[in-house]
This record gives sequence, structure tokens and C-alpha cells, in this order.
Amino acid sequence: MKIENISRGLIILLAALGFILAFTYMSLNIKTVDYGYELQELATRKERLKEEIDKLKSRKAQLLNLERVEKRVIEELGYQYPTPEQIIKVPGGDRDRSRH
Amino acid sequence: MTVTAAGIERKRILFLFIVFCVWVLVVGASLVKIQVVDYVENVKKVQGQSTRTESLIAKRGTIYDRNGEILAISVKTQSAFISNRDPEEALTLLTEVKKSGIMFNTDEIRNIKKRIIKGNRFIWLKRKLTDDEFEILKDIKEAHKKKDKSPIIDFVEEYRRVYPQGNTASHILGGVGIDEQGLGGIEFHFNPAIAGKGGIVQLEQDARRKTFDLQYIEKPEEGKDIYLTIDASIQYFVEKELKMTLEKYSAPRGCVIVMNTGDGSILAMASSPDYSPEKIAGTPPAFRKNNAVSFIYHPGSTFKVLMVASALDFGICAPQEEFFCWNGEFKIKDRSISDVHPYSYLTVEGIVINSSNIGAALIGARMGKYNVMRAINNFKLGQLTGIELPGEERGIVNPVKTWSGISVYFIAYGYEVAVTPIQMIGAFNVIATNGYLLQPHIIKKIEGVYLKKEQPRPIISSGTAHRMTSIMTQVVKSGTGKSAYIEEVPVAAKTGTTKRINRSQGHSEGLRYISSFGGFFPAQNPQITMFVLVDEPKGLYYGGDVAAPLFKTIAEKLIIYLGISPAMGNKTASRL
Repeated sequence: MKIENISRGLIILLAALGFILAFTYMSLNIKTVDYGYELQELATRKERLKEEIDKLKSRKAQLLNLERVEKRVIEELGYQYPTPEQIIKVPGGDRDRSRH
Repeated sequence: MTVTAAGIERKRILFLFIVFCVWVLVVGASLVKIQVVDYVENVKKVQGQSTRTESLIAKRGTIYDRNGEILAISVKTQSAFISNRDPEEALTLLTEVKKSGIMFNTDEIRNIKKRIIKGNRFIWLKRKLTDDEFEILKDIKEAHKKKDKSPIIDFVEEYRRVYPQGNTASHILGGVGIDEQGLGGIEFHFNPAIAGKGGIVQLEQDARRKTFDLQYIEKPEEGKDIYLTIDASIQYFVEKELKMTLEKYSAPRGCVIVMNTGDGSILAMASSPDYSPEKIAGTPPAFRKNNAVSFIYHPGSTFKVLMVASALDFGICAPQEEFFCWNGEFKIKDRSISDVHPYSYLTVEGIVINSSNIGAALIGARMGKYNVMRAINNFKLGQLTGIELPGEERGIVNPVKTWSGISVYFIAYGYEVAVTPIQMIGAFNVIATNGYLLQPHIIKKIEGVYLKKEQPRPIISSGTAHRMTSIMTQVVKSGTGKSAYIEEVPVAAKTGTTKRINRSQGHSEGLRYISSFGGFFPAQNPQITMFVLVDEPKGLYYGGDVAAPLFKTIAEKLIIYLGISPAMGNKTASRL
């Protein structure tokens, strides 16, 4: 009777262990597929954002196109190039004229 | 025999156990059939349903100027096509598209119609759509869907090359064709590096076509980004000034090259007429020609500087030595050489300052043909400079054995040889760098590529270079190049006026001139070397009248922009 009980308990334990293993294996597989979806979505989003950045960079460069800027400054803001008499040359050393 | 309750229960359990075993066996057998017996067939089926192979297009590299300003960039765009299942329906749709305001030329519409009627299944409607065009066509597609019709318009993603600076630097950049293949300029020359390599990817997808895994069969390689040595701002105002001069003198073409004296890098290379790089495919070859590297011409008086520098360096004559200049008319065999102004005696310096053809011819004669050829070779004239642009011409320098007895007279003042502006700026830069020949270059860096640099080569002594600089400064102060004089910054330069070469007949054409001007500044510590060429100016045509003022206008702007001042001493301009 005692031996029967022990073996029954062992069977139940093994079955439980088997179930846990199968469950873990399945849930890990499902998680892998889930992460796969997530990764692909993020990769697609990253790609779209990169494309968007390129489009914005291109747009910015088009807006800063010197011909366009010069035209707008002259036609819309009424600026003019100085005449030679209007330019006062200041003697001085070499200054750092960084662009940005 | 009595049947006990325990016996009945045991029988039931046994029955259930048998049923369970049969079920397990059936399931097991099915699994074995699916996974073992029919394995190959089933794997194929699954792969067919869930695996998709896609081609990936590589993104073309971006082209930047020296300061990181974008000159060319590829952006994703949509291209529309027609799935021509029902020609009648496709023609109705085409009419609808035409009315929508999308721009087509008549040839395009005619071709699409022809293909629809012919029954082609796949027809490009319009490639590389703008955002607005895409929205219009998407609406048409949606409206079509609502009418319960299968979509007849569809889209594919492609890259479109954008040149945000418009026509600026068109000859340097070149342009690409409809399939993003380089057709000219840097886009063509560096196509293998800049184009990248497409790839193939295998996607694992579910029933809803959602990807959950991918594997690269061939990994795509993005095109490499290229940084040029040009400065977009300098390029812009140089092109603008060149255009204004060409308009003023009704000249059909011209070019300006601005070089960083110290390292031979090109800061601007303007060539006119120009074109839009986005429309390169439809641009006539004459517009696509980069005059800075492809225009060959007799250098004329600008050549005297190089000949005199060589004669001084070879010890053939001294700066103060006098030559009799035959009062403006010198006859040699059946030909004659004349000066614009008659001179009797001129020193070697005076010959350059006053640009005497006769004086230069006499120096050439004294040098002799082998020394003249040596000078030409030293300055790398009649040879490719190696600049990273397509279409560079060698020029024309005939072998010494083919020269006539009087060739040296004419070569010495820039005839009987033909050069390109890029060769001339390289040669002028030798004087500016105290005698070193630097290779002109336009590429600053290519990502991931090591660029081999040619070492500077000594051509003339620093003493000769200093002497020539002083003579060329006098050319601008009191000689033929006075109109390039800038009060604050001394300029060393030389004018040139030549008759045009008729390429088909191989001789000079009368009454058609090329006006040129080459030099550098500040003379005592050169930062910028510049060469200007105006072809066939109408009215005035002397280098001192046409090219020199253009040189001056650009130089004045460069002085302000780069922060060049006489107080710099031996320092380099802050923005170079």
C-alpha cells in the first residue's frame, strides 16, 4: 500500500513536472513569437522614422537654398546689397567667424 | 457471479484508458504522418504560406559639401502603376487621373494609352511621385475600391534623388537616371560606392501577413555618404557672378574654379550654362559639359607666367634681363607675332607685366623646344590632373618631334598647345605654394573609404616662385590686370586673351576670343587660387576687361566670407 502510494505520488510529480516543462516551453515559444512581432514593428517604425528624418533634412536644405533665401530677402523683405560707398572697411585682425 | 461496484468502476476505468490510448495512438500516428512521413511536403506547404522573399533596394548615399550641407539626398517615394486587367476600365481611370491635375506630358499619356490598348498587364503610371501626387492617386484608388472594383492603381516604394540646392553645383554633382543610376559628375564617377547594394530578405509571416521573423539571404549595403571639398555658399555666389558676367558680355559659356591654395582642394567649380541635376536625363550634352575640366583652349598670355617661371628656374634668363620687342611687330619665317602696345626693350618682368607676346616668344626661343616641353610636363599640362570628375580632357600638347622650327615662339605665349582650366589653376597654384604642384581634388572624404593623397611635388624653386609672385602682383597693380586690383589684399595674377580653337579644323578662329584670368591672394600668404574663363564675350574681350573684373568681384566676396585680411600674417584663413 505504502509502495503504491509512493509510486502514485511519483507519477503525479513527474506528470506535474512534465506539464510545467511543456508549459514553460510553450510560453517561451509564444513569447519569442511575440517579441518577433514587436521587433519587426519597431524595425518598421525605425525605418519610417529614418525616412522621415531624410525627408525633413531634404526639406530643410531646400528651405535654406541660398537662391531661395536671397530671393525672399530681396523681394519680400526689401533688402538690398550695399553699394561700394556704403561699405566701411574696418582694419583689424583675423577674427573667428564660425558659421553656426 | 456477482458484479461488485468496484469491479464495475475498474471496467469503466479500463474502458476509458483504452479509449484514451486509442486517442493517443491516433493523435501520435497523425503527428508521425505529418512530421515524419509527409515532412518534406508539409514543410514546403508551410513555407509557401508563411515565408516570403523580398528584394531590398539600397539607399543611395548622401552628398554633402565641406560644411555638411546636403547637396544630394535620396528620399523614399511612391511610384504608381496600373494593373491592366480591363483595358476599358484602365482607360477610364487614365482620363480621371489626367483630370486630377497631375502633370504629364503628352508623350507620356500617349505611351500609357498605347500600352493599355496593347494589353500590357503592368504599366507605370508615374514614377517617383511627389507627396501631393501620391495623395491624389491614393484618393482615386480608394474611390475605386468603394465602387467594389478591384484596385487598378497600386504603388511601389522607390527612392527619389533630391538636389535641395537646385542648379547649384550641377556639373559637380551630375545627376541620376530614373533607376537611380549615376549619369554624370560625382554621381557617375562614384556610382559603385554611392549606389550601395540591394539585398534579399526572407520574412516569416502569419496568416494576417504580419512579420514575426526575418532572415537576410543577402544583406543590403547602403550607399556610402560622400563629403565634397566645395563650400555650397561659395559655389552659389561664384555661379551667380559668373552668370551675370556671361549675360553682360553675351558670352555663351564660361567657368570659374576656386581652390584652397594650401591643399589643392576645390572650394567652388562653376560652369555655365548649367542645368537641373534632377532633369539630367533630358539635358542636352552641351549643357552637361563641365567647362572647368572639359573645355580645351589655347591658354594665351596666362601661359607666359609658366614659361617665364621655368626660364628663370632653369637659369635661361634673369628677371632684369632686357629683350628687344621689335616695336610691336616681329616677323618669323612667313608668320608674324604682334603686341597690343608696341615696346622696344622690356625686361623679363616687363614682358609679363605688359603681356608682351614678342618678348615671351623670344624667351621661348631662347629656352629651346626641349626646355619648353620640360616646362609643360613639369606643370602637368596636356595631362589629366586626376580630379575625381568624369569627362576630364587632357588638352593638346603635340610631341616635340612634330613641332615646326618656330613652334617654340608660339607655344611660349600660349598657342600651339591646348589646356583645360583645371590644368591652368593647378599650374598657377605652383607659384602660390612656393613651387609645389598639388593635385586638385574635390572629395573630402567617403565614409569607410581610405583616400590616397598624392604628395606635393616640387616644380620650381621657392626663390623663383617668390619672384614670379612679385611680378604677378605688379601685373595687377600696374599691368594688364589692373581691374582685379583690391586695395586691402594684394592679388598676384595674369590676364589671358586668346583666339578660339576650331576643333574640327584644328586652328584658331578669327574674331572669337576667350578671356581668362588666373591668380591668387593674398600675394604674400596665398589662401585662394582662382581661375576665371569667359568664352566668346561680345564687345570687350580682353582678359583684363572681362575676366579680371569677375575675378575681383568673387575675390572681394571670398575675402569677407573666409575672413582673409592683410593682418593674418602667415596664418590660414579661419574658415578654410
